Amino acid sequence: MPSLVRKKAGELRRRIVEVCAERGGHIASSLSCIEIIAELYFGGMLRHDPADPAWPGRDIFIMSKGHGELALYAVLAARGFFPEEWLRTRYRHGDCLLGGHPDRRVPGVEATTGALGHGLGIAAGHALACCKDGRDTFHFVLMGDAECTEGSIWETALFAARHELANLVGIVDRNRISACDFTEHFTALEPFARKWRSFGWEVRELDGHDVDRLHDAFDYARSARPRRPLVVIANTVKGKGVSFIENNPAWHNKSLDTPEEVALALAQVARTPE
Amino acid sequence: MIPTTEEMRDAFFDALHGEMREDPRIMVVTNDLGAPSLDRFRTDFPHSFINAGVSEQNIISIAAGLAMAGRRVCVYSIASFITLRCLEQIKLDLCVMNLPVTIAAVGPCFAYAADGPSHHASEDIALLRAMANVSIWSPCDARSAAALASVVRNNSGPAYVRLDRGARPPVYGDAASFGSGFSVLRQGADVCCIATGIMTHTALAAAGYLDKQGIAAAVIDVCRLKPLPGAGLLAAAGASAALVTIEEHTMNGGLGSIIAEAGVDAGLRLPLLRLGLGDDRLYAYGSRESLHAAAGLDCGSVVQRIAAWLRHGAFR
Repeated sequence: MPSLVRKKAGELRRRIVEVCAERGGHIASSLSCIEIIAELYFGGMLRHDPADPAWPGRDIFIMSKGHGELALYAVLAARGFFPEEWLRTRYRHGDCLLGGHPDRRVPGVEATTGALGHGLGIAAGHALACCKDGRDTFHFVLMGDAECTEGSIWETALFAARHELANLVGIVDRNRISACDFTEHFTALEPFARKWRSFGWEVRELDGHDVDRLHDAFDYARSARPRRPLVVIANTVKGKGVSFIENNPAWHNKSLDTPEEVALALAQVARTPE
Repeated sequence: MIPTTEEMRDAFFDALHGEMREDPRIMVVTNDLGAPSLDRFRTDFPHSFINAGVSEQNIISIAAGLAMAGRRVCVYSIASFITLRCLEQIKLDLCVMNLPVTIAAVGPCFAYAADGPSHHASEDIALLRAMANVSIWSPCDARSAAALASVVRNNSGPAYVRLDRGARPPVYGDAASFGSGFSVLRQGADVCCIATGIMTHTALAAAGYLDKQGIAAAVIDVCRLKPLPGAGLLAAAGASAALVTIEEHTMNGGLGSIIAEAGVDAGLRLPLLRLGLGDDRLYAYGSRESLHAAAGLDCGSVVQRIAAWLRHGAFR
């Protein structure tokens, strides 16, 4: 399964570049988190049914970092939640159903996001209801690391720990770059893991591009473990896979603008990993 | 449900208690606020009552998640806190996603008078009416407040209910219904006073004094500010020769603005006097009575202003 996910992540990375070349979008933020989302949807870690997005037996995934929309849309299309052609005809084009940030009207999208700091709270509320109902639904929330400077995140962290929401898994795309700078230039997220532990969360820290480690962490999340919420700090590279985008704060709001950039980016993501 | 108290907040929660007995979907979430009527919820519905602590943004997001999981949620807090601090969450998590969460907000405007501007919801109507999908309710007595508890259970989208503090004289009888969103409490051909919340009581008192001066004043209580029952309300108001709106709220975007906008859109050609809080009266400390007096919203001032306007300004 891991090698299948690894290959799929490579295909999806290529798809993100293709779509961005045609329609623009948050390419850097999407390239950093594709392994995370691929592992959830292709690695058997998230129960879902593309034919029935509202299936009551599903787990919940919320893309709190809504600016990773290209990654989410690429995965949802590949899984069959909606036609692949929507990435060309309806992403930032036409009726823009696939908007610059995800909307709940899109099949497979659980919550409308885009402003930061909302997803964890929404998931925690749903998780609490599921606990009370005796439902075994798991809730995964993908956040950005700069998003964790929003106070609302920590309000929810306190709440989730108090209510022992072991069915809530936060994932932080720790690419160390915000919209305009490196995170540690303007804020003190570190020691990041220790902060979450001090709020009563279990913490797993790993390479966010290693699908084996991601699989192990999500598998652990679903195992019998202490009744506490879990956060997976996934250390990633913003813009992973395209050399001139990697680790470059200038690329948060930038798309592939020139034919040369498009050609080079496509060439660099062309090779599918083993 | 017929309330056994004249306290609006308690009447609302007593009625909600009855709703919760019938509908296990209902949950109450608060930010560390208590009330005698809420104490029963902790003991009678321990699994449906959550104190989420002082975290308004978190609370609204939590409420959204609960609603997405099938709950009907009532968020209870002080009006100034549960609007301003989490306006983005109200917009995105509740209004954009159109989820059944009712915000029961105690303390409109100067209800917490001596506590100062931090506790004064003097702009909540203006802010929330700018959003789509949310209904806004402003009852004036315990009976109308109790009737609104059903909004928690029956509304399929977000709602905001302003509940005043303290006991108010009853305005409505036991058989009153509030489905139309407004009520003509008094007829009068010379001027129609349109009010909401605590100012409905002031309007009724002022109408009595205007009557003694030979001015026939109608009074309309607007219980539902959004969606405004525009057609019916304006038709009723149009039976008078002039309109006055009376509100304990900023003049920028409150009841006066609502009526002015609706009147213009409907082509209503009547003089309109808006009585409310100007910018110079918004941020103050004092008793509610002194704050009203300073703003010209006490009964005597309202009578004087309306009479003078009718005599000298309304029909120029």
